[in-house]
Amino acid sequence: MTTVSAGIPSGPATVDTDGELADDTRQLTPAERRRRMLWKVLGALASAVLVLFIVGPLIWLALAAFSDQWTAPRLLPQSWTLDWWKTVLDQPELVESFWRSLQFALIATAVSAAICLPAAYALGRTKFPGRRVVLIGLFATNAFPKMGLYTSIATLFYAMNLMNTGTAIVIVQLLGTIVTMVWIPAAAFASVPPSLLEAARDAGAGPLRTFFSITLRQAIPGIAVALILAFLACFDEAQGTYLVKPGSYSTMPTMMYTLVENYPAQAAAVFAIALTIPSVLLLLAVRKYILGGHLAEGFQIK
Amino acid sequence: MTVLTSQDTSPSPAGPSGSAGDGAGGRNGAGTGARRLRRIGFSALMVSPPVLVVLVFVGIPVVTGIAYALGYTGGPNEMATMLSNSVLRNNGAPTLDVFAKIFDDPLFLKGFWITITVTVVTVVVVTVLAWGIALYARLSGSRWSRILTGIAVVPMFIPVVIGAYAIRNFYLGSGFWGSVWQLLGVQMDPLSYHTSGVIIGQIWTSLPFAVLLISSGVAAVPDALIHAARDAGASMARAVWSVMVPMATVPTVIVATFTGVGVLGSFTVPFMIGATSPTMLGVQMVTTYNAYGLPQDAQAMAVVLFLMAILIGWGYVWAQARQARSSAVMN
Repeated sequence: MTTVSAGIPSGPATVDTDGELADDTRQLTPAERRRRMLWKVLGALASAVLVLFIVGPLIWLALAAFSDQWTAPRLLPQSWTLDWWKTVLDQPELVESFWRSLQFALIATAVSAAICLPAAYALGRTKFPGRRVVLIGLFATNAFPKMGLYTSIATLFYAMNLMNTGTAIVIVQLLGTIVTMVWIPAAAFASVPPSLLEAARDAGAGPLRTFFSITLRQAIPGIAVALILAFLACFDEAQGTYLVKPGSYSTMPTMMYTLVENYPAQAAAVFAIALTIPSVLLLLAVRKYILGGHLAEGFQIK
Repeated sequence: MTVLTSQDTSPSPAGPSGSAGDGAGGRNGAGTGARRLRRIGFSALMVSPPVLVVLVFVGIPVVTGIAYALGYTGGPNEMATMLSNSVLRNNGAPTLDVFAKIFDDPLFLKGFWITITVTVVTVVVVTVLAWGIALYARLSGSRWSRILTGIAVVPMFIPVVIGAYAIRNFYLGSGFWGSVWQLLGVQMDPLSYHTSGVIIGQIWTSLPFAVLLISSGVAAVPDALIHAARDAGASMARAVWSVMVPMATVPTVIVATFTGVGVLGSFTVPFMIGATSPTMLGVQMVTTYNAYGLPQDAQAMAVVLFLMAILIGWGYVWAQARQARSSAVMN
């Protein structure tokens, strides 16, 4: 961004909150100064409301998880406790659902990787007729309203005798990862510079050697991001699992649906926070990728 | 929402093996032609697994689901029919009776309008809010504006079930919402278990995607263009309206379409935050399918959602076409 700096004679001598683009070099009249002040106040107010809107519910939830006694019109609990954490950890069904979620998410991610990564390689490194159709066709799975698709799938699962099985859960979770697992690694494979491959082959490396030490190594970061995002999509998947869910196979997110009715609010809050921890940690690991604008670029099919 | 990227999905035609042979393929005839065919075959083989999965578990259910709603109760729908409390069979020709039935149901109609209301309001608010945040970040460039953008992306890091649960508690009478109004001595209804709470939840979950896309669209507008507009005497508002808005139309349309389809097909947010009934179709479908034992009616509702999504998807296709045109002009 360019800097159009100029000694601004007015306003509180603080940071460049007015921004480079809004600056101009002439003296400000009092009316203009007042208007700027007004905009600043409005901006601060709007930001405060937005921050409360986004973060408020999460803080409220976190407070509940550590609260002992908390009666209605108070904005903070009267007394604090860690007992709810022990309560939740002592519930076998809750702990079990955590391990079950982990298992299903790992299986679905592994299956997704096995199915999609070769396809990603082919789509990224070779040109063949129908390539664009495949890319867009896979993408079109996103064009169906999720719940409408899941009821349709449930009917098929009844026909295939898959309803109420673990396989059904894996398939539903898998479906949510395919686009991620194809598109991101395909882009990673495509971005390996051809000059590197030529250099490796000139140096006498065979096709396999070239693939493992150049192509794959260069594409690993993209594949890792896809794996993490896919795992999280599976781990957090609730609505599809809920519909095809066998009573005996509750995963952690589907537990949340019933938990809120059967347990005290504080226990539900503890459980919710526990469920959030893996997501936050893993997403922090790939946040640069997401915030760096790659996500935005990718939504425009080329 | 799925996360995608393709900095450059258009690959160099040279695969890892033999770009030279490929280049000569057209002229050299049989030998290299066969090799090219083999390569294409190999690629097709590698691409086929995800394509098959999508065909079997998205393509087939959508087709049989639509058939079910049109009264074809046999075949793959036989099993669900056997478990149903009631179905409407057609006599060979597709029938719209199931749709007539659900549109006669006042509860469905209420859910239908709630779904449309929530979708439209969410799309509008999310788009406007994301534009506000993006413009604030772009025009002020301050550290605080960047922090604000970061905060707006936070919901992406929270599982939807958890976000929805947190929002429900926050806007209850005993939550922050109720407590603050009570402390101020104002009588105010809780927003949870109402459509307004559902809209809040939808905005909360949709905002990160919108902010990311629109911010990057707004950031891509060259400074020089804005300066030029300002130098020509345009006010800041005018520069935003005539320069930035047109240049960021495509990301805006993408945000609107994906938010719209996402809200249409949502279950968790209305289930957690909304009233039990009437509520958005996503929840009504599950109740109809499981609790009422009417899969065919649920399927007809799903088809109604598909049709709404097609309307929205048309906007996305339009935006892509427009982008293709504008990049052709720019090159």
